[in-house]
Amino acid sequence: MAVDVALSLDLAIILLAATVAGFLARQTGQPTIIAYIIAGVVIGPVALGLVEVTELTETLAELGLAFLLFLLGIKMRIDEVKHILAPIVKISLPQMVAVAAVGFGISYLLGFGIVESIIIGLAVMYSSTAVVIKMLNDMGEATTLHGKIDVGVLLAQDIVVVILLAVLAAGRPESAVEVATTLAVVLTLVAIITVAALAASKYALPEVFRRVADNKQIFFLVAISWAFLFVFVSDEINLFLEPFGMQAYLSIEMGAFLAGLAIAQLPYSKDLKDRVNPLTDLFVMIFFVSVALRLDAEQLLFYWEEAVIAAVVLIIAKFVIFFALISWQRFDSETTFLGSLYMIQVSEFGIVVGVAALQGDFIDVEVLGFLTLVALLSMSVSVYFFEFGDRLYRLSDPYLSRFEAEETFTEDERVYDGHAIVIGFDDITRNVLALLDEHFEDVVVVDRRIDHVEQLTEAGYDAVFGDFGSSTIRKDVSLKKAAFVLSSSDQPEIGKIILTETGDKTTVFVEAREAADARELYDQGADFVIRSVDLSAERFQSYIEALIKDPALFNRAIDSDTALMRELDPFPAMHERMEGRLDD
Amino acid sequence: MLTAVAIIFIIAGPFLLLANRFDLPTAPLLIIGGLLAGFFIDEDIVLQLAQFGIALLVFTFGVSIQLSAIGTVFRDSELAALMQILVVGSIGMALGIIMGLPIEEALFVGVAVALSSTIVATALLQTEVHSDLIRGRLGQSIQFIQDIFALMFLLAMGAGVLELDPIVLQIGYGVVFLAAAAIVNRHVFPWMTRLAGGSVELMVVGVISILVVFIGGAMAVGVPMVVGSFAAGLAIRHDPAVYIGLFNGIESIKDFFVAIFFATVGALVVIPFVEVGVEASIEKLTLVLVIVALTVIVKPVVTTAILMYRGYEARTSTLTGLSTDQVSEFALIIAIEALILGLLTQSVFDAIILAAAITMITSSFTQRYSERIYRSLANRGVLSERHGKTDALSEVHADISNHVIVVGYGKKGSRLVDTLERLDQPYIVIENDPALRDDLRADCESYVFGDAMDAYTWEKARVASAKAIVSVTGSPIVSRRLLEFDFEPGLILRAPDERVALQLIEEGALYVVVPDLLASEQLIKRISALLESELSHDELRAEGMALLGLDETD
Repeated sequence: MAVDVALSLDLAIILLAATVAGFLARQTGQPTIIAYIIAGVVIGPVALGLVEVTELTETLAELGLAFLLFLLGIKMRIDEVKHILAPIVKISLPQMVAVAAVGFGISYLLGFGIVESIIIGLAVMYSSTAVVIKMLNDMGEATTLHGKIDVGVLLAQDIVVVILLAVLAAGRPESAVEVATTLAVVLTLVAIITVAALAASKYALPEVFRRVADNKQIFFLVAISWAFLFVFVSDEINLFLEPFGMQAYLSIEMGAFLAGLAIAQLPYSKDLKDRVNPLTDLFVMIFFVSVALRLDAEQLLFYWEEAVIAAVVLIIAKFVIFFALISWQRFDSETTFLGSLYMIQVSEFGIVVGVAALQGDFIDVEVLGFLTLVALLSMSVSVYFFEFGDRLYRLSDPYLSRFEAEETFTEDERVYDGHAIVIGFDDITRNVLALLDEHFEDVVVVDRRIDHVEQLTEAGYDAVFGDFGSSTIRKDVSLKKAAFVLSSSDQPEIGKIILTETGDKTTVFVEAREAADARELYDQGADFVIRSVDLSAERFQSYIEALIKDPALFNRAIDSDTALMRELDPFPAMHERMEGRLDD
Repeated sequence: MLTAVAIIFIIAGPFLLLANRFDLPTAPLLIIGGLLAGFFIDEDIVLQLAQFGIALLVFTFGVSIQLSAIGTVFRDSELAALMQILVVGSIGMALGIIMGLPIEEALFVGVAVALSSTIVATALLQTEVHSDLIRGRLGQSIQFIQDIFALMFLLAMGAGVLELDPIVLQIGYGVVFLAAAAIVNRHVFPWMTRLAGGSVELMVVGVISILVVFIGGAMAVGVPMVVGSFAAGLAIRHDPAVYIGLFNGIESIKDFFVAIFFATVGALVVIPFVEVGVEASIEKLTLVLVIVALTVIVKPVVTTAILMYRGYEARTSTLTGLSTDQVSEFALIIAIEALILGLLTQSVFDAIILAAAITMITSSFTQRYSERIYRSLANRGVLSERHGKTDALSEVHADISNHVIVVGYGKKGSRLVDTLERLDQPYIVIENDPALRDDLRADCESYVFGDAMDAYTWEKARVASAKAIVSVTGSPIVSRRLLEFDFEPGLILRAPDERVALQLIEEGALYVVVPDLLASEQLIKRISALLESELSHDELRAEGMALLGLDETD
C-alpha cells in the first residue's frame, strides 16, 4: 500500500499561518476573518508560494462552508422567521436586480466586454454568507431582527446562486428554452429536498434524536451523519438524476442548510450548536485561507485598479440599495441601518460563479482574478463595518430617523422597569421563580434552550431565548432598569457584565463555580454569589443536625422535600412549602 | 474526498443509532460501519483524515493524564499491569507462532491481546471512575500503563527494525519531546491563553496548531507522529474546568476525526468469504477466534489472578479483570501503522481489527453482567474471599454503637465528619481509596477500609447497631447495592436529580439528597428574607462571604 504516513505539510502551514495571523489580529483588535484571508495571501502563490490548493485543503474548506450553513440551519426556527418571510422576498429580489445592474454598469464603464460585464454583474449581487454569518454568530446577533433579515436575504441569494451555477455549468446555452428547463429542474429539486427535510423534521427526527439526546457523542455524530446525507445528495445529485437522463447542479451549502433546518425544529438544537461550532470554526478558517490560494499574483492583480474602483462603487451601491429596500419595508432605523451595513461585501460565491463561468468559457482567468480581488477587498472592508456598526449607527441616527417610517415593523417587545431577570433556567432557579413572581410584577427569564423557553412561556412567564452575553438580549430585557437579577450562568464574564451594567439599586445574585471567581464577583459588588456546592452542603449540615438533635424536625423536612419531588410541578411554590425552621 | 467522508458518516449514522439503542460503545460499531463503507470508498483517500483521528486520539490521551494521580497509580498497579502485559502478550505471541506466523507478526498478535481499550473500558467504567471507586481507578491505571506501553512500542516500531541502536535513539527523541511538552505547558500555553483574550475560537485553533507543530517535529526527526501527538497532549494539559470551552471544542473535533479513523480501519479490512477465497477466510477467522478467546477469557483470568496475588480483594480483582476483556484502540493504531510500514500482512491486520470490533462489543456485555459473573464465580467457590486486608487497615472503636455510618471520605464526606464531630455524634467512615488512607488515619476516630459493596465491610462497621447510614458517593451502582442489603438503619443517599432520587426513595431509601434542591432551598431562604427586609444587603454579603470562607475585610 503506497500511502504516506505523513500529515499534509500544506495543511500544517495553513493552520500555523492562520493561527499566528489570528492571534496577531486579536492583539491589534482586527477581525479574525481578515487575518485568515491575509494569511492565505501571504503563504499562497500571490506572495510566498508556500502552499497551493490540495484536495485535502479543498475538502476541508468545502466542509467549512457546509458546516457554516449547517450551523446556521440549526439556528433557524421556522416559527421565528415566518413573520419576516414576506419582507425578505420583497427586499432580496429587487436588491439582486439592482446590484447586478450596478455591477454590470460599472464593469462595462471600466472597459469589460458585454458578456464579461453580465457575468460580473451576476457574480457581485450576493453578499457573503461566510462573512455575514460568521460575524453575526461571533457578535451574538444572529437572532436579532436585522440578523434575521440578513440571513433571510442571504438564503434567497443562495437559491439564486444555485440556479445560476446550474445554468453556467451547462455551458453557453443554446436557447432560452434550455435555460428555462435547467431552472425548472433545479427549483423542483430544491423543493423536493426542502419538503423531505421538513417532513423528516416533523415525523422521523424527533423520535431519533429523543433517543440519542442523552449521549453527547452519539448525538453529535448522528447529527453530522444527517448533515452529510444532505451534502451527499446535493453533491452527487446527478447520480440520482442519471436514470432520468437529466443533469443538474446543487450546492452542498444548500443541502447542509436544509439538514440543519430540519434539526432546528427539534428542542435539542442548542446543545448541538455548541458541538458543531468548534469544528466549523476550524474548517471555516481553512476556507478563508484557501480563498486566496487559487490564483497567482499576476492573475489576481491584472485588473487591480478596476477592482478597487468596482469594490468602492459596489460597497456604496449595496448599502444604498439595501437601505432603501429595508426602509421601504418599514423596519425601524436601527434595523435598516445595521441590516444594510452588514451586507455591503461581495460574496465568496462571486468567486465560485467566476470559476464556473471560466470553465463554461464565458470569461478569462484575469476576470476571475478581478472578481476575487473585489470579493477580498469588499469582505475585508465590510468586516470593519461589523465591528463599528453600533458606533456608526449612533453617529448617524439623528440624520437617519427622517427616513424611518411612521409605523415601523416590530416584533412584539415589552418595556420593562423595576422587574426581576432570571438568567438560565435550571434546577436551582426554577424553584425560585414562584417566589420572585410574588414580589415582582414582571419576571423575565433568559435561557439558551428553546424547550425551556417554551416550557416557561406555557407556565405564564416572560421568557426570552438567547445568550445573555449578547448586548441585544440585555437591551431587550432592560437589564439596566431591573430591580433584581438572578443569574445561574457560571461563566464569570456574564456575572461581570451584569455587575458593570447594573447600578446600586439592583440586587444581583450571580453564580460561580470556582471560589476565586466568587471572590472576584463579590469584589465587583455582587450581593450574593451562589455556589451550589456550598449552599447544598450548608443545608445538608442542618439536616444532619436535625437528625441527631431533633428527629421529628428532620422527618418533617425530608417529608416536605420528598413531597415536593413527587409532585413533578416544574414551578413549585417551594418557598411556602419547605421546612423553614431548620437552622433557627 | 468529500464524497468519501459523506459516505462514511451516512453509513455510520444507523450503526450509531444501534450503539445507542443497545448501549454499546461506539468504536466497534463505527468499525463495522467502516466494513460496509469499504465497498463504496477508496480507503487511501480518507487515510489522511484518519491520521488526524489517530493524532487526536493520542493527543486527548495525553491531555487527560493527571500527573498527580500517576504516583498512586504506580504504587497501585504498575507491577500488576506489567505482569499482565508480559504473561498475556507471551501467550498471544506463542499461539501466533504455533499458528505458523513469522515471529515479527506474532509479536503484533501478542500486543493486540495484551492491551485493553481505554475508551471502551473508560466509557463503560464512567460511573465507577466518577464516583472514585477503587475498581474504576484500578482499571484506569492498568489501562494507563498499557497505553504508555503501547506508545513505547510505537516509538520502538518507528525505528522500522526492532534493533537496539535505533531504538535507543528513538527513546532519546521521546525524552526530548517530553521536555518540549513541559516547556510549552509551563510557558507557551499560559502566554497563548493571555493572547487569545478569552476567544475560544483562537484557543482551539491555537491548540490544534501546537498539535501540528509537535507532529511536524516528530516527522522531521523520524519519530512516529503519535509520539508527537502525545507530547502535544501533555503540553496543553490544564485544568479542564478552567478551559471548558477549549476542551469541549477539542472534543468535538476529536469525535469527528476519530469517527473517521475507526470507519477507515474497518474499511481497510478485506472481508472474509466476500472479498477473498474460502481457504484464506478460514485461516483468517481462526486467527480472529484465537485473539478473541485470549482477550475475552485468558486476559481477564490472568489479570484477576495477578491482582488477587497482589492482595486486592476478590471482588475488586474480578471486576477489574473483567474490565480488561477487549482489544485496545492503541492496538488498532499499532496495527494500522504496522500495515502502512509493511510490517504486518493484510490477513493478520484484518484478524486484529475484526477481533477488536468483536471484543469491544462483548466487553460491554460482560461489563453489564460483571457483578453477576463475579457472584456466580464466588458462589461456586472459584474465588476465595479474604478479609485480612480489610481487618488490618481498619480502625473501629470497641464500644461504638448508635453511630452514623458515612460512606465515602471525599470532600463531602469530610465535611460531614466535621459536623458529626462538632455534635459529638459517634461515627464510622467506610472508604476504600488508598489515596485517602492517610487522611482517614489522621482525621477519623473510627473507619473501615473496605469495599462498601461487600457485606463484610458492613459487618465490620457494625451496621446492626447504627443509627443511620449516609452515603455521599453519588454512584447509582453503589446506592442500589446499599439498598439491596436492606439494612435496619435508615439510608440517606445522594442523587444527581429528582428523578433518580424518587426512584431510590421508592426502592427504600429514607431520604435522597439532591444537591440542587437543597441549594435552591437555601437560596430561597435568603432571597425571601431579603425581599421581606428581614435581612439587609450587607448582612447577605457577609453571610455569603462567610460561606466561601472569606472575610468582608479580605
